[in-house]
Order: sequence, then structure tokens, then C-alpha cells
Amino acid sequence: MTEGTDATTATERDPVAGTEPGPTARDRLRGSFDRAGNLLTVLAGLVFWGWLLARWLYDWVLAGSGIGPGAGEAFLSPAPFEALAASLSSAAGSLGPLGIPFGWLASAANAAALGVEIGPALATGAWYTVILTLSSIVLGFCIAVPLAILRVYGGPLRWLALAYTELIRGTPLLAQLFVLYYGLPLSAWLNDLSIVGRGFVPGYAFWIAILGFTINGSAYQAEYIRGALETVDEGQLTAARAIGLSKFEGIRHVVLPQTLRYAIPAWTNELVYLIKYSSLAGFITVPELYYRGSDIASSTLEYTSVFGLLAIVYLGLVLSATNVMGRVERRVAVPGLGGAEGRQQEPTE
Amino acid sequence: MTNPRTDDGDGRTADDRRGDGDERTAPPSSATAATDPLLRIEDLHKSYGAEEVLRGVSLEIDRGDVEVLVGPSGSGKSTLLQCLNCLTEIDSGHIYLGDTEVTASDTDPNEIRQQIGMVFQDINLFAHLTARKNITLGLRKVRGMSAEAARERADAELDRVGLADQADSYPAQLSGGQKQRVGIARALAMDPEVMLFDEPTSALDPELSNEVLTVMDELVDEGMTMVVVTHEMRFARGAASGITFLADGQIVERGPPERLFENPSHERTAQFFENISHDHD
Repeated sequence: MTEGTDATTATERDPVAGTEPGPTARDRLRGSFDRAGNLLTVLAGLVFWGWLLARWLYDWVLAGSGIGPGAGEAFLSPAPFEALAASLSSAAGSLGPLGIPFGWLASAANAAALGVEIGPALATGAWYTVILTLSSIVLGFCIAVPLAILRVYGGPLRWLALAYTELIRGTPLLAQLFVLYYGLPLSAWLNDLSIVGRGFVPGYAFWIAILGFTINGSAYQAEYIRGALETVDEGQLTAARAIGLSKFEGIRHVVLPQTLRYAIPAWTNELVYLIKYSSLAGFITVPELYYRGSDIASSTLEYTSVFGLLAIVYLGLVLSATNVMGRVERRVAVPGLGGAEGRQQEPTE
Repeated sequence: MTNPRTDDGDGRTADDRRGDGDERTAPPSSATAATDPLLRIEDLHKSYGAEEVLRGVSLEIDRGDVEVLVGPSGSGKSTLLQCLNCLTEIDSGHIYLGDTEVTASDTDPNEIRQQIGMVFQDINLFAHLTARKNITLGLRKVRGMSAEAARERADAELDRVGLADQADSYPAQLSGGQKQRVGIARALAMDPEVMLFDEPTSALDPELSNEVLTVMDELVDEGMTMVVVTHEMRFARGAASGITFLADGQIVERGPPERLFENPSHERTAQFFENISHDHD
């Protein structure tokens, strides 16, 4: 830290030092922080996703052939954590007021032991959450883009898009799920399909949840995309039509590519929301992450620990999503089109 | 800049226009096949809401002509260009490009726009594409050229406007003058019959204007048919084959540059040229 401050004052005292082409001490320090941060992110991501993928692979493929502890059973034993917790809490008891931190550590060790035990259930729940989120966001996007285009360029038809958006955004998602699940005969139709609920194919509640999230998410995504569409200068479409492209082609080849770049940050926000509000699928009996967690909590009564662990898994999913979208944003970045480049750099003089 | 409206001036222009219109509408109806004027505009009317922006404009432009449109702001020059390129729907009147009636209901406006190149005041390069791809987009999607051929053509056009070295730059990385030259190259690549310029230099510093005007001068030398809305009187004087002075949606006066500059027959025209020469000196 002191190194960095020194470098700053040095640059301020001697302007020539600041304009030297070589990196300053401060730049190097910041560079190494960045690298360390990146490395940590990558490592944490590898551990988190490595665990999830290993779990999924094991539970559905390997456990069947008699290898390891069996499907849904933890890879590790919680015993060491339990032993650690026991010794920590006895230490806490003997140290009096000084032992309070040991008590906290004991709780953490207990939570770790619980984590090992319920990890397999959370991993299975996370599978549903991931699949629900990914399919709904992608399907929702496919509806949202035409919807937003209709809203902005649709002429008289834009009222259709407006009505859809307002109806969907204006009613609670849970109510929409209930209507789809209980109110419509969808479950009967889906049950008639011989593949639903057999083997790897989840039961009908799962498909209804995807439908619900797709419809709901499409309305929100359409609004984000509409905002971005309106950011693109009108002259862009005029110029596209002036070279002989039709209005549709102009939107497709000129307006949309810019729009989607502008929309990435807001769209990421929707993705992050969806990861968490996919937990509402639990209300229609989809055994996703939150459903599993609250199920375990109510049977073990370890609410704090279970929801703490649940939060960690959600956080892992959300951070992975924002990280990936950040990469996508940088990958498709174009000079002069949105993006934060140039705004976070310090003035060169 | 606002010219006082004199009853006298307006009355005269209206009479002249009606006179012109009568002369013109009589012969063409019998001989539509005559392709002498490349671009023919007959009694064009256009309103935005209650405001009538074009009030009966008739104009003929021959192949190879460079017509410069001048007039106070709000006189309808830009609207006229947009009508020519089907970017705005007209209320009444006719526009012909060669033998084709642009304004006919069965004419595909996308076909017309391919034959009419347009250069905009605010340039409007496709912001997400490099200079080269700004040009290849139309060649690929409209002309259906192969990627290879489109690329070659784009590079040739960039070379023509002196920007061969900027092919991979994005618009945000180019200066205003460079952007406008790419804009011209993009329009030229479609092999247009006519090029329309809507105040191509008015968003640019004088210094940057020159590089654009140089490119336009070269086009004039190559015999390109051009309709140019501009306040660059140096360009008008040097390159125009005719100057049309518009005011209040009507053609006040039209003639060769020498006559309009030195000896305009309408007071309004004289006043306009005097005003802009003051502005520019």
C-alpha cells in the first residue's frame, strides 16, 4: 500500500515521471493486484463448478455402477468437522469471555459439517436452478427481441407488445405460476406425454416453471432491449435503408447488433434476478435449490446454517453469471459503443 | 438569417412556379420514355402535420449534372432529398429516375435507394462496424456479393477516398472528415446513378470540410450526377452546373451559378447570397 502512495506522490512531484512510457510502481502494484484477483476468481470458480459438475456426474452416471458412497451421499465424511467443532466449543467453554471467538469458530465448523452432509442435496437443487434459469433466459430472450422490436417499430401493432408487457409485468410471478400450474390444464397435457417425468426428464412442474419464467422474463427483457433500441440513433436505420436494405434488414444488421451490446448490463441484471426468482418454482413443487434448502432447514431446524450455505451456492451461481457476462461484454466490445472503456482510466497527462 | 417575407417576393415566386409547372406537365405526359433528364421531379408536395414543407417543387436534372440546392433553413432542401430517396413519403407529385417512376406504388423503394446514394449531414456510419464493413454490408446483403468480392470492392472505394489505411478502424476512431469520406465511399460502392449530399460538411470543422469537398470535387470530375444541399459556396461556384434556390418549400429561382451569384433576378435570392457571404467572411 505504501509503495503505491509513494509512487503517486513521486508522479505528482515530477511530471516527467508520469509521462514515461514504462509502467510506474503503482501500475505494477495494481497489475499484480488485478492478476491475484483474477487468479482467485478463476480458482473459486473452478472449485465451485468442479464440485457441482462432479456431483452431477457422480449422482447420475457413476453412482449407478457401484463406485463410491452412492448417489446423494457426501464424498467426504462430516466427522472431522464435527470433531473440530466439539473441541472448539469445549475450548470456548473453558476460556470464559475470551472463548467467544472460539464459539464462533465452532459454529463455523458445525456449519461446514452440515454443508458436507447437505451438499449433495443442494447440488441436485442447483442443477434444477441452473437449467431453469438457462432455458428460461434463452427462451425469454427469443420472445423479448421481437417483442421489443414490435414495441419500437411496430406501428399500430406496438399496442399488442405494450399490452403483453404490462400484463406480465403488472401481475405477480407467483400468481402467474399458480395460474399455469393449477389453473390451466397444462399439467394434464404434459402428463400425457410419455417422456415427461421418465428417466432423466423432469416432471411436468419443471416444464410449467420454465414456461412461467420464460413468459415473465420475456416481458422484463423486452423492456431492457427496448431501452437499448431507443438508444441507437435513428440515423443508423435511415442510413441502412439508404443503401437499399429493407427496414427489417436494417434492424437486423445495423440496429440490433448495437442494441444488444447496449443491453448487456441490464440483461445481466435480469439474469441475476432470474437465478434467484427461479426459487419460486419451489412453490409448484420443482425441487430446485431453495426448495431443497428450506426442506432441509425445516427438518434439521438449523435455519441459519442451512440458509447461509444456500446463500453461498446462490452467490456462486450469480457471480459466475456476472463474470461470464462481463467476459461476453468485453469480447463483443466495439470502440465508441457503450462499455466502460476510457471512463475508468486515469487521465494520461 | 430570417428573411422578411415580402408579399411582393412570395407572390412572384408562386406565379413563376405555376408557370413552370404548366410548361413541364404538358410535354412529359406524352413522352415519358424520353430519358434525357436522369431525375425528374414534378409538382412535389409534402407536409409534416399542418406544416407544408414542399409546396409544389418541379425540377429536372440531367445525367452528369451537379445541382446545388441552397436556401434558408426550413426551406425544404433536406426534405426534398429524402423524398428523392424514398426515405420520406410524399403527399402528391411525381419523381422519375430515368424511366422508372420512383413514386409509383408498385416501385420497390429498396431498389430505388440502391440506385441513389445518400450522404448525410450527421454521417451515420454504422457505429458497430469498421470502415470496411460499413461498405461491405450493403454489398453483401443488398447486392449479394461474396465476402471476398465485397471486401475488394470496399477496399477500392476506401482507396478512392484516400482512406485505404483506415479500413479496420471503427467510426469512433476516425475524425469527422474521415467518417464522412467513408460515408461517401459507402454510398459509391453501391454504384448509384445519382448521389445525394445533405449538407455533407456542415457538421465538420472547416479544416475537415476541405478533405470532404476534395472528394466531392473528384466525383464531379468523374461525371457523377449529384444533388447537393450545401452552404459551401466555393463548391457551388466551382462545381455546380446549376443552382436552385428554395425558400418556403418552393423554388424561387434556378440557373447557372454565375448568373445566380452575380445577377439573381429575385430580390430574395440576392438577399440570401448576401447574408451567407456575410456569415462566411
